Amino acid sequence: MILLCGIPTEPPLAMVTGALEKLGAPFRVFNQRRFAVSRMILEIRDGSVTGWLEMGGEGIPLESISGIYVRLMDHSKLPEVEMLSPTAPERLDCQGVHETLIRWCEITPARIVNRLSSMASNNSKPYQAQLIRSHGFEVPETLVTNDPELVREFRAKHGRIIYKSISGVRSIVQTFQDSDFDRLNLIRWCPVQFQAYVEGVDVRVHVVDNQVFPTKVASAATDYRYARDQVGASPDLTATVLPSEVQASCVRLAQSLGLVFAGIDLRLTPDDRVFCFEVNPCPGFSYFEANTGQPIAQAVASYLAGEHA
Amino acid sequence: MWLVICEPEDLSALWAFQGLKRRGLAPLELLSPEILANSLRWEHRIDSQGARIAIKLADGRTVLGKDVCGVLNRAYNTPLPAWRHSSASDRLYVQQELFAFYLSWLHCLSCPVLNRPTPMGLAGQWRAEPEWVCLAAKAGLPTPSFRQTCFDRVNENQGQSRLIPLGAPRRTVIAVERTVADATAPKSIADGCIRLAELSATGLLAVDFIQGVAGPWTFAGATPFPDMRAGGERFLDLLARTLRRGVNV
Repeated sequence: MILLCGIPTEPPLAMVTGALEKLGAPFRVFNQRRFAVSRMILEIRDGSVTGWLEMGGEGIPLESISGIYVRLMDHSKLPEVEMLSPTAPERLDCQGVHETLIRWCEITPARIVNRLSSMASNNSKPYQAQLIRSHGFEVPETLVTNDPELVREFRAKHGRIIYKSISGVRSIVQTFQDSDFDRLNLIRWCPVQFQAYVEGVDVRVHVVDNQVFPTKVASAATDYRYARDQVGASPDLTATVLPSEVQASCVRLAQSLGLVFAGIDLRLTPDDRVFCFEVNPCPGFSYFEANTGQPIAQAVASYLAGEHA
Repeated sequence: MWLVICEPEDLSALWAFQGLKRRGLAPLELLSPEILANSLRWEHRIDSQGARIAIKLADGRTVLGKDVCGVLNRAYNTPLPAWRHSSASDRLYVQQELFAFYLSWLHCLSCPVLNRPTPMGLAGQWRAEPEWVCLAAKAGLPTPSFRQTCFDRVNENQGQSRLIPLGAPRRTVIAVERTVADATAPKSIADGCIRLAELSATGLLAVDFIQGVAGPWTFAGATPFPDMRAGGERFLDLLARTLRRGVNV
């Protein structure tokens, strides 16, 4: 039995659901928004994990679940609980179900895409950059500082630089403009991350276990995810092929971070250097699959069903 | 230079600071998260040479990552003294930014750091009780049966526990880099604690035991953020020895 966790209409979850149907693999969906009709018990005896998950009156022994796809959104932001007081019984019920589920996901021997603890490296981009660099990828020259003078020197050295958040929050890459000098003193209140701009072609690489799905992204935007806002046009996505050693490095990088499924952001420079910007541990791949036809959901479904290569 | 990073009210860390001083670690600098938060200059770089950190503190001290020989890291929080009048959403954002930043600069130190920061905890990886029970069983420690349900209202962040009955006396064994500070612990327990520290990749780990269903040494929890005073002078010797390993780094 495979368990899909999240909101069923959310595109990546819906795509994996469809792929499992095609595969004929048995699955159930834990719909976060139906927490009120969900119950869960987790037990550990001599290191063996057992328990019970009940959803809408149907119960499943946890030990019968052999694969899990985790696309949980922050349960405190669910429309059913967002406006409730911190001590409202419905909120506490919601928290109890999610907390038990999350704890189980950390210790279950089932195939899991992905454990939450493995997803955490993306919460610090410079930290993750250090891990990325240790796997042979180049990373952009980076400065995190609260000193405007250092930023001026950094800009003078590199010409074009970008800035973005250090954490995964409010993370939109922006080019540093001359007008930004006027507000540069504001960084004294909180360090900011600056990077040398790297010229080249963006490639998003989805890794599923040992399979690789590279997509070339053509866009004039500094951050192609926000291309419509930044340049008024969507990026052009096409499936592409990477040298085998780069593909192998992508697989190794994902594995080292404990990620079965990852979205790796590369930029290939005109002089054949391979920069890696970050590893997304919970990629919203549906956009890429819809535009390229790459069978990413099928690969995830096959892995969950134990049919991976 | 050695660093002890801790809150001003972290008596356990202040005790360790004095103990390390008596053992001759010098210069030994005490840094609070508040002092760090008010730093005049942060300079953290990542490039083809690696990652580096330089900090100029408001009190005139300078910390260069390359000069740091060892760190007792008890930073679990990133205070926001300058942001106290901001909106809750801005404070949350800055908190996450600073956590991400501290994680990166602490990670780039090549010397011994107890504990090394992780994305799940600045002073070592935070784990919930079920994870610790599974790891402890794997480490060969006597573990009780464990049960968690969606109806539990146990807040582990506030020190509540499913493993320790209220008021039950506990014994704490501290493991530091393949050695335990408690000479009275049976060998099988000491070995299990060391194995648990290895499995959890935690250089400094405290393991709690109670008289329970699995015997006099029934596993009752573990933490990378212990009251180090439980380890006594022997613990300080081990700590000093471990932190000194960075002298030649």
